[in-house]
Amino acid sequence: MTNIIEVKGLSKSFGKVKAVSDISFYVEEGSLFSFLGTNGAGKSTTISILLTLLQQDKGHVTVNGYTVGQHDQAIRQEIGVVFQDSLLDPLLTVKENLAIRASFYGMTRQERYAAIHRVAEVVEIASLLNRPYGKLSGGQKRRADIARALIHKPNILILDEPTTGLDPESRKNIWATIQQLQKETGMTVFLTTHYIEEAANSDYVVVMKEGRIVAKGTPEKLKNDYSRHRLSLSTDQADELRRLLTLDEFNFNEEKSLFHLPLTHTTDAIPILTKFAPFISSFEVKKSSLDDVFITINGKVVHHDAGIR
Amino acid sequence: MMLAFAKRNILLYFRDKATVFFSLLAVIILVALYVLFLGDMTAKQLPDFPAKKSLLMAWFIAGMLAITSMTTTLGSFGILVNDRANKTYMDFYSSPISRTKLVGGYILSALVVGFFMCLCTLIASNLFLIVSGESMLPFGKMITASGVILLAVAASASMVLLLVSFFKTSNAFAAASTVIGTLLGFLAGIYIPIGSLPDYLQTIVKLFPVSHVSALFRQILMETPLIDSFTNAPAEMKEAYLFNMGVFYKMNGEKISTLFSVFYLTATTFVFFTLALLVLKRKNK
Repeated sequence: MTNIIEVKGLSKSFGKVKAVSDISFYVEEGSLFSFLGTNGAGKSTTISILLTLLQQDKGHVTVNGYTVGQHDQAIRQEIGVVFQDSLLDPLLTVKENLAIRASFYGMTRQERYAAIHRVAEVVEIASLLNRPYGKLSGGQKRRADIARALIHKPNILILDEPTTGLDPESRKNIWATIQQLQKETGMTVFLTTHYIEEAANSDYVVVMKEGRIVAKGTPEKLKNDYSRHRLSLSTDQADELRRLLTLDEFNFNEEKSLFHLPLTHTTDAIPILTKFAPFISSFEVKKSSLDDVFITINGKVVHHDAGIR
Repeated sequence: MMLAFAKRNILLYFRDKATVFFSLLAVIILVALYVLFLGDMTAKQLPDFPAKKSLLMAWFIAGMLAITSMTTTLGSFGILVNDRANKTYMDFYSSPISRTKLVGGYILSALVVGFFMCLCTLIASNLFLIVSGESMLPFGKMITASGVILLAVAASASMVLLLVSFFKTSNAFAAASTVIGTLLGFLAGIYIPIGSLPDYLQTIVKLFPVSHVSALFRQILMETPLIDSFTNAPAEMKEAYLFNMGVFYKMNGEKISTLFSVFYLTATTFVFFTLALLVLKRKNK
């Protein structure tokens, strides 16, 4: 696998505010890549630099072999982008909007026509083409935005918080479309989000906080690094259970009549349950989730170098 | 690329009825003022002479065209300001279309919108002339007037582009549009004839490019009625009338020729466009 996006030592400040400080990461070709972080973490700044909208202060960024700052025109051909806000013209129809944007890529009339029908098919908006963009629902607008991003067959699709502000149903649909698109075309998808469940489906996640990368890896790796599976036992014989757990040198903590034991694998719970079965009135095994990772990283004070490979 | 982009701006202008209305508001106000009292006032200040009504009507139409050329291009450039305020430019800038072509597209659309709206005003004025029993403008004059319209919208577009290059928000632009719409009628000697203004204001009027637009329109539209009015009058009286009404301007006691007005408009167009492009270029960095 080759890296389609490479970012090395990227920094960008606005006046005294450091939006991004010395971050490095890469995106594999054909992968689904997530940029996770709260608002103001520096995600949008990084994307703006990738899109050649902003100039970096320091660092080297390449997109499919082209260097940002040197081959900007070529990079603009490589990338299709869905911005956080709707940027199509509300008074024009979806078709007019797409045709105008297609012309930016130097397409002829026939190419534009073909491209519009191709993307309308992909994001299922063929029936909406003649409706004014401003009259569409939130989910429909998002589809039209994605269609616009795909109009020039880009190799990379960048989505800046694509599902923010959508109702749960639309979110699910948009998300399904994005995933299907990525599978069918093998396109590289780069998305920013602050929804953990969206990042969980990706191949690789980079977590940003205050302009720095605080964690990166596959969702599995992050779960392993930042959260544990947990077995919770409830008992009527707390004193006896405490004595036995201590005797067997188990690591646990107690909360009222509940005993929490960290697990490496969920299946580790089986021998414990078998052994202490007589003392257990009920139990729960909680799998670690990316939620815990996010809370661990953002909720508590985290050392900046934690988790960086 | 540029043509498609210009077409987008033109579509956006005409699709938004409010934009069209507000860019014509200054013209509508002018018409209302004239109907209500300005027309009577101007007529009363002048001695009676033959074909006075036709002459004043031609004078009024010339002023209306001059205002239209400015306010409609202004309205069209509102799209640029909106694109900047709504961050729509991020979509454009992340596409391979060059910034020069984008600016070119905005300018081209302003020229087309301004030209079309002025042509509509000219045609509507002609219809009004017919309805009120006056004779219509001959075809040749319409063609000449169209040429002046082209020059007028180019001059206006250059000034407006320089102006909008400084605005970041739609509100600031809307406020500026209102002020310009109000001042324009005075600055171009349209509400009140230049002869009735104090000397220092007369100088400002003569420097303001749109005044030369109105002068050029007056020279074309008033030619025939002027012959009817002043054939039997002494030459000095006609001369005084021409300067008083701003058909021709006087600079340092010399009469400014038609050619000079054309040259002045062309020169300001180049100067303002150059300045605007410099400002925009600096802002892009």
